[in-house]
Amino acid sequence: MSSQTIGRRSGADWASIVLGLGLGLTVAMFVETTTREDWSSVYAVVTSISRIAALVGSYFALIGLVLVSRISWVEKSVGHDRLVIWHRKLGPYSLYLITAHVLFVIFGYAGVDQVPLAVELWRMILRFPWMLPAVIAFVFFAMAGVTSYKKARAKMSYETWWTIHLYTYLAIALSFMHQILTGTMFIGHPLNKAFWEFLYIYSAAIIIIWRFVIPTGRSLRHNLKIEKIVKEGPGVTSIIMKGRKLDKLGAQGGQFFGWRFMQKGQWWISHPYSLSAAPTDKYMRVTVKELGDHSKMVKNLKKGARVFFEGPYGTFVAAKASKGHIVLVGGGVGITPLRALLEEFDESKSIDVLFRASKEEDLVLRNELDELADARGARVHYLVGSRKVHPMDAKYIRKYVPAFADSDVYVCGPTPLVEAVREACRDAGIPKNRFHDEAFEFHSV
Amino acid sequence: MKRGLLIGVGTLGGLGAVFAITPPQFGTSGPSGLSALPGRAATTSAPVAEPTKAASAPTKAASKPTKSSTAPVPAQTPTASARITGTFDGNTSQTRWGPVQVRIVVKDGKIVGASALQSPNGDRRSADISRQAIPYLVQETLAAQSDQISGVSGASYTSNGWFTSLQSALKKAGL
Repeated sequence: MSSQTIGRRSGADWASIVLGLGLGLTVAMFVETTTREDWSSVYAVVTSISRIAALVGSYFALIGLVLVSRISWVEKSVGHDRLVIWHRKLGPYSLYLITAHVLFVIFGYAGVDQVPLAVELWRMILRFPWMLPAVIAFVFFAMAGVTSYKKARAKMSYETWWTIHLYTYLAIALSFMHQILTGTMFIGHPLNKAFWEFLYIYSAAIIIIWRFVIPTGRSLRHNLKIEKIVKEGPGVTSIIMKGRKLDKLGAQGGQFFGWRFMQKGQWWISHPYSLSAAPTDKYMRVTVKELGDHSKMVKNLKKGARVFFEGPYGTFVAAKASKGHIVLVGGGVGITPLRALLEEFDESKSIDVLFRASKEEDLVLRNELDELADARGARVHYLVGSRKVHPMDAKYIRKYVPAFADSDVYVCGPTPLVEAVREACRDAGIPKNRFHDEAFEFHSV
Repeated sequence: MKRGLLIGVGTLGGLGAVFAITPPQFGTSGPSGLSALPGRAATTSAPVAEPTKAASAPTKAASKPTKSSTAPVPAQTPTASARITGTFDGNTSQTRWGPVQVRIVVKDGKIVGASALQSPNGDRRSADISRQAIPYLVQETLAAQSDQISGVSGASYTSNGWFTSLQSALKKAGL
């Protein structure tokens, strides 16, 4: 099983060094090719700053894509969740730097030419090779950035966000030629050009292989198809899928896959859903609540439809627990990975499940949970009502779980719940490595 | 925190490695493509009319291109290249202001003529600069008999383009 490798993070240190090395080489290209003239006037300085911003911003954008390209040995040694966090941290900087590049280069050139900024932009588009594609690329890139901003992201469906995000691939490809053909660090510098081309070609190869070729091959080999669709509660549906030799995937309860249902109107988008039961060699199950557009369409899925998948992902697994006592905190449909996790812990662990929901009918999979808990002697506490009634702080949790401070805590649900429990753990003195979270929004990659 | 440090160490390592091999030289713009200032900044003040100044410091600028190009000319024995005769067109080199393409005429291994098949002329100022700079670039090329030219100040983009295209023409000629 892959349980030993999951959660080992020494790879993160190596990845940091490699990423730093690439950044060093990128900056070196600039330093090696800059001249005194480049700093001789205000406009020259502005233009020079725009160049270094472009180089570093492009490097970050490229690395951002590679980080989420699902290279399996990187996923295992660094951890998918950490890769996504890095991707998210890097993304904004990349956008800021590239925006600075665009503004500064127009300003610098317009200053030399003594024309208004708009005129200069128009001139640049007309005069330089591949400049129009580069401008379009910037628009795509900016759109992806703005829609990923927390407040904007919350206002749109997963599908819209995802589609816009997809255009960053196009943006990075479109911007490449103008760099090579007009960048002063590349013209007349074959070594720099070779390094930059290598970086782009290598990244493209990684993305094509790991995000397309390998998942397609695995999906076909395991021949996964929809077996059954079950209504679990108001707006909550389970999808049971059947395939062959699924145990070979090494998936565990608590993990998630990117699912792509190959039927009309569905095949083009991949969706991250957690397993809602521990997988067997023939079956996998997810349980989905109507949140995005796609979730609503889940009910229209057809039995027998082929399912393409990417995964398993996630380090929200039983192997991460170090203590004898386990607390599983689920909010609403967030209970599903915890329900799968519950099956994975061995008999020696003492388990408390805290199930938060605002209404009684939101207690999905309740029967299954009770049965599982009975079978292995776990305690399930249903906490129905408003946040005021169930504050989920350390004091409140301790009422139900006296051994709280001495447990491993797993939480999955809406971000406010995850944050409340995180704080409760901090107050109770639970170290970070015993707090395991899986926020809903976390899956959006 | 710890990872930030590791990234920093990696960055310095990458920078250090490059600088150890080729220390950065923050010279004024040479023909090796180092120039970056938009060329027309200097058109009115210190333009093309100073070929002596440009020619007086060729050794300094000349030391630079050798790292990226393989400096084909001086390495060749005179007997081998002495037989080369013909007209050779370099590749088109894109610059900020437009394409530059160099043609050289070689007789018995010597560059006896050079001209610009293409030069930036998209707007009037670019055309003006090209018109003024190209005679000097031709002169420098004939004098250097190689790609070791110092370029024309005030026309750094055209000079860079000339240099790149000239290199490929020399390569085609086998010089």
